[in-house]
Amino acid sequence: MNHSQFLISGFLRPPFYNGVGRQINQLQRLTIKFCKSHGGSKGMRDFIENHLVNYAKENQSVVVYVKPRRHRSPVIVAEYLNGDRRWMSAQNRNHEEILKWLSLLSLQAGDTEPIRYRKNWHTDCPSIQGPWTPFTHKNPAFNNIAFPDKELGKQLNMPETATEKLLRLVQEQKNTKNE
Amino acid sequence: MTLLRIASRAVLTLHPTISLLNQQKANVARWVRPTLMEIRARKKKLEIKNGPQKESPRSNFIEWNYDAEIYAFGIRLKEKFNYTLLQQAFVDRSYIVQEEMKQRSVGVENPSLNLSDNSALAKKGEELITEFVISFLNLSLPKFPRDGIKAIYRHLVSDEVLLKVSQSIGTKDLILSSNYPPMNDVYVATLKAIIGALFESSGEARAYEFIRDFICTQLNQVDVNELWKIENPMELLKEICKDKKLGEPEPRLINNAGQNTILAVHYVGIYANKKQLGTGFGENIQIAKEEAVKDSLRTLFQTNNNMKPFNFRMPVEKVANLLKKPALAAASVDNI
Repeated sequence: MNHSQFLISGFLRPPFYNGVGRQINQLQRLTIKFCKSHGGSKGMRDFIENHLVNYAKENQSVVVYVKPRRHRSPVIVAEYLNGDRRWMSAQNRNHEEILKWLSLLSLQAGDTEPIRYRKNWHTDCPSIQGPWTPFTHKNPAFNNIAFPDKELGKQLNMPETATEKLLRLVQEQKNTKNE
Repeated sequence: MTLLRIASRAVLTLHPTISLLNQQKANVARWVRPTLMEIRARKKKLEIKNGPQKESPRSNFIEWNYDAEIYAFGIRLKEKFNYTLLQQAFVDRSYIVQEEMKQRSVGVENPSLNLSDNSALAKKGEELITEFVISFLNLSLPKFPRDGIKAIYRHLVSDEVLLKVSQSIGTKDLILSSNYPPMNDVYVATLKAIIGALFESSGEARAYEFIRDFICTQLNQVDVNELWKIENPMELLKEICKDKKLGEPEPRLINNAGQNTILAVHYVGIYANKKQLGTGFGENIQIAKEEAVKDSLRTLFQTNNNMKPFNFRMPVEKVANLLKKPALAAASVDNI
């Protein structure tokens, strides 16, 4: 079996109970590196001209650094609050693609592999009522009974015997005659 | 070391045929492998000689703008800070000492930095944390005894919890300290100073909300009963029953199974005036009794398994009102 074909499974774990008190954006820093002349950086240059100011305005909690460098491919580096650093090549990507990648990066909580959620919720206290035990719904009256007990031990779904059926039929006949 | 790092980076980036993403295209020149091997060997040699390479501070990078970072920090926490106060909150005493030493070493007679450290702000922050956390706990767990409240408070303001909070809001790169990464107590002091700075910049209510949202929420999914070790539970239960006039608590065996086997189980209940206070299981009667006493205490304190979760959206005015009543405030904050 090829295990790499399957997503690793796990539980939803927001960092530091994020959102219980207030929501903190986990992306803290973004470095955009690009070349001013190479064709591979065309999309990145378009992005910087048209969208970057807008992006920075919308995500003021993210510090954006723009770093031109000669004849090197464009790169996005995202740094997160948990210390993760995610490097991404943006070679030959157009500005729309870059915007989409950036919006994905700003929503993530770190350099995390995608996981398959086993459940959409998670709790450290899975049982509120406590675990079931053999004593949970036991009738307290049973404490004073010495087993085996005839009354409690009898069969519950005993079918009608032939004798009982005959007796019942005779009784029914008698009843109809009397009427 | 830096030279080595630059060299290795040059090898990785200058050579256009190495594509990190597309392995099929890779046509790696024959000199690359031995070069990388050599760099790796030299790195290892240096590490053996000088110990592992130290983490470089993020502020040493070219792409670093301290003002922008401080601004983004405030926005990230959704708070309005006074810039100078927030900056002061990140300055540790050790940084000032180090900078003064540096200036003296180059011959400056009276070094001046125009910086003040965060100790005053941290003190203010610590006071605010104490006030708020104690009142918050008193309001959230009205039936919990004072010793227990103290134990939970001590857990919440312990260095481990505050360190985690401080690290999770991203103070690591902003702290100005002589060490990098900063020492644990510097992280904690910085968090307290941030709260102090928030109090000075935006007022008491915002500071309380900050404490509620970042420190009190650390109680989420934590069993508060585990934070307080009761020395003698039976004695405590007897005292409480006496105070509340519930009658003398007495343990009774409710059920047992598997006697004289390795899987023996005893089920004990604690009764007072023929009313059940709690139950517990154990492999022998003694343990079952102890568990039952603990369960009864949990029920009396209203901290049993099915307790209501903490209200982390509790309006801070409610807590502040409690603090304004002098008698209550004194009772809650004193002797901690």
